[in-house]
Amino acid sequence: MGAMEGLMQGVQVAFSWQGILFVLIGVIAGTLIGMMPGLGPISAIAIMIPITYGMDPSVALVMMAGVYYGAVFGGSTSSILLNAPGISGTVASSFDGYPMAQRGEAGKALAIAAISSFVGGTVSVVLLMLFAPALSQVAVSFGPPQYFALMFLGLTAIASLSDGSTIKALITATIGFMAATIGIDTQTGTTRFTFGNPNLLEGIDFLVIALGLFALAEICFLILKRKDTSLGSQGDIGSLKLSKADFKEMRGPMTRQSFLGFILGVLPGAGATIASFIGYISEKRIAKKPKEFGKGSIKGLAAPETANNAATSGAFVPLLSLGIPGSGTTAVMLGAFLVLGIQPGPLLMADRPDVFWGIIASMYIGNIFLLVLNLPLIPYIAKILKIARPMLISLVAIFSLIGVYAISFSTFDLYLLLIFGVLGYLMRLFSFPAAPFILAFILGGMMEQSLRQSLTASNGDIMALISDPVSISLYIVSILSFVVPLIRNRKNNQHQQEEQNSDAS
Amino acid sequence: MLKTMNQKISVFLILFAAGYLYLSYNLKKYPYVPVDSDLVPKVLGYLLIVLAIFLFFDKSSETEEEKEKRQVPKKEILVLLAVGGMIFFYIFLLEIIGFVLSSFLFIFGCSWFLGYRKLKTAILVAVLFPLIMYLSFNYLLQIRLPQGLLPF
Amino acid sequence: MKKLWMFSALVLVLFLTACGSSSETSGEGEDGEWQPDKNIEIVAPAGAGGGWDTTARSVGKVLEEENITEQNVGVVNKEGGGGSVGWSYVDSTNNPHNIFVSSPPLIFVPLNGQSNLSHEDFTPLANMIADYAAFAVAEDAKWENLNELFEDMKEDPSSVTVVGTSAPGSMDHMQFVAIAKEAGVDIQKIKYVSAQDGGGMTQILNGSADVYSTGMAETVEQVRAGKVRVLGITAEERVDGEVIGEFPTAKEQGIDATFVNWRGFFGPGDMTEGQVAYYEEKLKEVSDSEAFAEVRDNYGWDESYMDSEEYSEFLDQQREELGSLMEELGLNQ
Repeated sequence: MGAMEGLMQGVQVAFSWQGILFVLIGVIAGTLIGMMPGLGPISAIAIMIPITYGMDPSVALVMMAGVYYGAVFGGSTSSILLNAPGISGTVASSFDGYPMAQRGEAGKALAIAAISSFVGGTVSVVLLMLFAPALSQVAVSFGPPQYFALMFLGLTAIASLSDGSTIKALITATIGFMAATIGIDTQTGTTRFTFGNPNLLEGIDFLVIALGLFALAEICFLILKRKDTSLGSQGDIGSLKLSKADFKEMRGPMTRQSFLGFILGVLPGAGATIASFIGYISEKRIAKKPKEFGKGSIKGLAAPETANNAATSGAFVPLLSLGIPGSGTTAVMLGAFLVLGIQPGPLLMADRPDVFWGIIASMYIGNIFLLVLNLPLIPYIAKILKIARPMLISLVAIFSLIGVYAISFSTFDLYLLLIFGVLGYLMRLFSFPAAPFILAFILGGMMEQSLRQSLTASNGDIMALISDPVSISLYIVSILSFVVPLIRNRKNNQHQQEEQNSDAS
Repeated sequence: MLKTMNQKISVFLILFAAGYLYLSYNLKKYPYVPVDSDLVPKVLGYLLIVLAIFLFFDKSSETEEEKEKRQVPKKEILVLLAVGGMIFFYIFLLEIIGFVLSSFLFIFGCSWFLGYRKLKTAILVAVLFPLIMYLSFNYLLQIRLPQGLLPF
Repeated sequence: MKKLWMFSALVLVLFLTACGSSSETSGEGEDGEWQPDKNIEIVAPAGAGGGWDTTARSVGKVLEEENITEQNVGVVNKEGGGGSVGWSYVDSTNNPHNIFVSSPPLIFVPLNGQSNLSHEDFTPLANMIADYAAFAVAEDAKWENLNELFEDMKEDPSSVTVVGTSAPGSMDHMQFVAIAKEAGVDIQKIKYVSAQDGGGMTQILNGSADVYSTGMAETVEQVRAGKVRVLGITAEERVDGEVIGEFPTAKEQGIDATFVNWRGFFGPGDMTEGQVAYYEEKLKEVSDSEAFAEVRDNYGWDESYMDSEEYSEFLDQQREELGSLMEELGLNQ
């Protein structure tokens, strides 16, 4: 089959002047919308669909793809500057991006995010181009038992997400998991823990929790420190320039997470959020100085930013080669295809090589545009931090509130946001880490569903969970990732016992 | 008996888990699946109790830094509560007087309260930020924020 | 900062043009005729991108672009509770300018006890489209038609796993139950799994589940590629279309049952005759327009216009049929 010919056709679409122009429009629109509170790729694509009516399908879809990864790219800005993640895929970016910005290196943090996103985006497009048809089998290879094993692997990482007490991390994770059980249970239709409130039937939105635990809790601390100018960080943006040593730091995470993120993106249901968390955790696990994570580590920022962009390209594998949307975002993207009269599926590559390869080829250009456009803008965007504290606090609060309102349009969710803000503040007062809460909330829901799907299909036979090589190897990795750091920690402990004692309490 | 902070939190968590378990045991039964919707919540409820018990006997004392974080002066707590109250009031008014007006009140009021004293800038930001947000959401992005009392 | 100013200037210009084009019209006329005096708001009781949202946005666009209404038409998403959040919003605002789009979940969700509002609390305005369910299996499955499948299910219900997107007691589950019951399967023993995010198709492709209960359009590409087979659809007779036309109906296989995934518009409970007539007329115009015909073709929907009266009767009938099925499953609250 003439894959080469098809690729050439795609390149022609992508490099035609319309192709280039609309990729540009797409990524700009995507980045801007992604920076808006609460608006992520889903809204960005849905908003842009009406604009494509009547356009040439291949050009229109090239633009829509640009909107998609542009929005993921733009979403990290508020995470890093304000600790207010606009979309779920960028929560992990705030773990180290925000501390970095706080210490007066906002420019550098945004530059690292932009470069890692670029690398993640570009490497994964190469992978997409080489393996998209072949990987379609991988995309459907995971059934419920394998997903359960994958989520299990993710959950074992919880202990590593906190520097303090492991017990406290596990407690917050359990409560996060409990929060995920609220709403209609999709396997039985039973409503759980809703207290008769229809607003809770579909569960709590991820963004409510993320913005509450992170942004609002942070506001409380900003309020307490509002007169404290001794920090010196206020308004300092720092240089954008990355030193050679910085690049050396980034190289490892960027390479590894480009691949890992891509693979996780290929699996329907996993997506950018899970990729960014797993990217963050895996880098922390293998880092020489895991203690730096969470305090403004370059690796800790580069990893999730690479992974979430790589996963975004990965998500195109099931979408383009099977017509299966692996996430809410790609489902909307599928809608955009349908509006233009294109039905993605196994035959798309043969039927419409211009569309299939055009989208892929255009991603190279799109990623370059994103980098070139964003780097010069960073100093201006980072100026947000120059706003005087009292004003900044009010604006971040409004930002979070609109963010939640724009996805749910209900004041109920806003009250909920406020409650989670209070919870987040109390958790930080008593040194309960928030990250395990979020992670368990995301993974827990999927974990429960895949567990029960497996058991229903196997008529309750629990052995169905460990009956194939993929899940077994995932469990082995989980156990290893749990045991190895323990051993390593013990060794470290012997070396610097005193220091450890005061830190680990 | 409840000497340390951990012990107090632990008791609170156990009560919370008990309430959660109570609700879990009262979930509606669905007869057609081998594992019903109550299994995972029950596991989580007991898990939380076990973890809370561990926390109760957790000997490790808090670092000075951690204790210091809780040393918030009474006055500052009042400030926090006041801002929380303003957010509450904002949410309450949002769908009544509309996004632009309530955001204006909040941004102006909150930043003034926290010590922002440049009157002109405060008013300018409090007018422009909500207005730009509102117009771009409603007209550029077709996402409706509450209109409220304003005619547009 | 400069950029911000440019942006806001652009916004202002857009806003001013938007204002200039909307003209003032009066409310209810003397002879009971009614004209909206402000923008019409279509509520999609779900998030962006789903079936309700797509219907709302495409109808809204046709209304506006074909100049069928003088007012602007905006789409508002009120997500939550399988629709009940949006419904209670329309019910509580009780404004004839707010209408919403709905489909069979308006029957299921109240029956499930997840909403206190049912279709009787609203005014049906018009139905727009019909879509049908398809039951698909992997290409290497042993069943060639519905009867073979149902024979196996009658013998050993636990050997077959059905997968769908919605929870039990909602659409994907009930559409399968409706047909299986007619074929004589013990519907209490049907093994149904719910999978989100494209999981249904994935699960039949990798063998985790056996039958995928979904909409026709979702199966077309996989059928064309020879990866899955559609055993039957729930339409009265075969549907026109290149691939869809080859899908056999359950009826022609001797199973006398159908299931329609209808989608139409509703207003708040108390509307005047003039208001209903206004929407009926406008929606009829949309339904008859070429622009909407194109939308239907793109999504593989069938034309199925019903006016308010016809629609009410249809809904009552749906409620009765589906209600008795759910009662049999014990899902009725």
